Amino acid sequence: MSDDASTAPHSLRSPRPASRADIFPRLVAMQKNLRARHFALFRITGSGLPGKRKLVCEMENWGEDNAGSVALMLDACGEMMLDHIESSLLPLAWTGSNQKGFIQASDFTPLVRQLPSDMLPFSGLAFPVRLGATGNGYIVFSAGSLNLSSDAIVEHHVLGCQIMMDLLALDERRTVPAETLSDREIACLQLAGDGRISEEIAENLGLSVHTVNAYLGSATMKLDAVNRIQAIAKAIRLGHIH
Amino acid sequence: MESSRVRGDSDARRPQGDAPDSLFRERVVQRLSIAAGDRDVPSSMRLLAEYVGAAHFLLARCDIIQEQGLEYIISSDWPFDLVRRMAPEIASSYGKSTELEKCLSLFAPTFSFLPDDVLLPANIDRQYCSLSLCVGRTRYALLLLFPQGLILSQERLREVGLLAAYAVSSSGKKEPRSERDFELTERELDCLFWIAEGKTSDEIAMILGISRNTINNYITSVMRKTGTKTRSEAIAYAVRNNLV
Repeated sequence: MSDDASTAPHSLRSPRPASRADIFPRLVAMQKNLRARHFALFRITGSGLPGKRKLVCEMENWGEDNAGSVALMLDACGEMMLDHIESSLLPLAWTGSNQKGFIQASDFTPLVRQLPSDMLPFSGLAFPVRLGATGNGYIVFSAGSLNLSSDAIVEHHVLGCQIMMDLLALDERRTVPAETLSDREIACLQLAGDGRISEEIAENLGLSVHTVNAYLGSATMKLDAVNRIQAIAKAIRLGHIH
Repeated sequence: MESSRVRGDSDARRPQGDAPDSLFRERVVQRLSIAAGDRDVPSSMRLLAEYVGAAHFLLARCDIIQEQGLEYIISSDWPFDLVRRMAPEIASSYGKSTELEKCLSLFAPTFSFLPDDVLLPANIDRQYCSLSLCVGRTRYALLLLFPQGLILSQERLREVGLLAAYAVSSSGKKEPRSERDFELTERELDCLFWIAEGKTSDEIAMILGISRNTINNYITSVMRKTGTKTRSEAIAYAVRNNLV
């Protein structure tokens, strides 16, 4: 699509990466295209409780000289970033101390949220990624000062989302239960999640209550859950049931 | 379903003008900035539809999707009768994929056919495109109708997903509460969170420092407010709706 297709970062149509090592170079390519200095990829962990959510850095190339920078950034911006992503997908930008204006395209300004200036020694651009119930986070680029077109921002935001999806796909492969859930186990979980009690599930599936409970029990073990309720929560998040 | 009309981007026909793609996109984004700055979601969507060559758009919230009623539709310029006819199908197709599948296909365009008995506007292709986007905890579906014979750009469709998310983000409207999503209090959400972690009422009582009876009351209240009959169903509801 763009003229510099040969230097453009990873195509949207390539197959899923085999490992995280495949993802790292794509982030480097994005960083080079943006003429940024460093990148860091964060995932949001913790569930719904506001106090429990955290940004965890999963990949970065700040290097040893800048070891504390990621922590510095999270201290200054972490909470704002977490708040922001609860209601918006707009990119965030901040100007570092002693830097000139950061984003060049002033007519794009309404679409980039500016954080307070001078919080950090470097400027930054943070792309929020929201996939759904899981896989959410930010991809952040740091720089001295950046002159970016709105075009470049859009292009890289889309690429960033692709990277987060590929990461999620990798994780999903890694956390496959030791034995896969059987059809019966899945059916029992689904019906339980739909509000049926064991007797109703038994009637629905033509089994005894005892058998239904056994299936729910084995599903719970396979999902490494404490009880069937947690098993249902995990099953939905992992995509085994709707 | 893969569409035969979606080609590699070098083959994609640009809907207007001969400007190089990046310049064209830049102009679209500038116009979007203005519309979004005005919090004008319909104009923003109209603009994005033009960008991909779509004849009509429909933007809907997925979290309050229902088989009856149209309150989940945010903005659209589809012919109204078509909306009414397709609303149940849109609602049911949403339930066909798991949450994980949805997470792994953000902005990814999929293609379906409008039923044969549906009356189409003149020169509109029977195949429509849908993609999903997320803003905050809410998932949206964007459905696009195209003129017949148009070759579509996958890349541009994905961009439109992102730009639609920008438009929605800028609108800043306090989203209307769904019928069932009444004001779960923070305590009730706390209980749901711990239940999803597999804790019993006794354990939750200890964690939160309140009595077991109070915990059970909160849970009963949650089930009443969400219209669920069992704890299992309440948790399933909570996870599906990104409350935990």
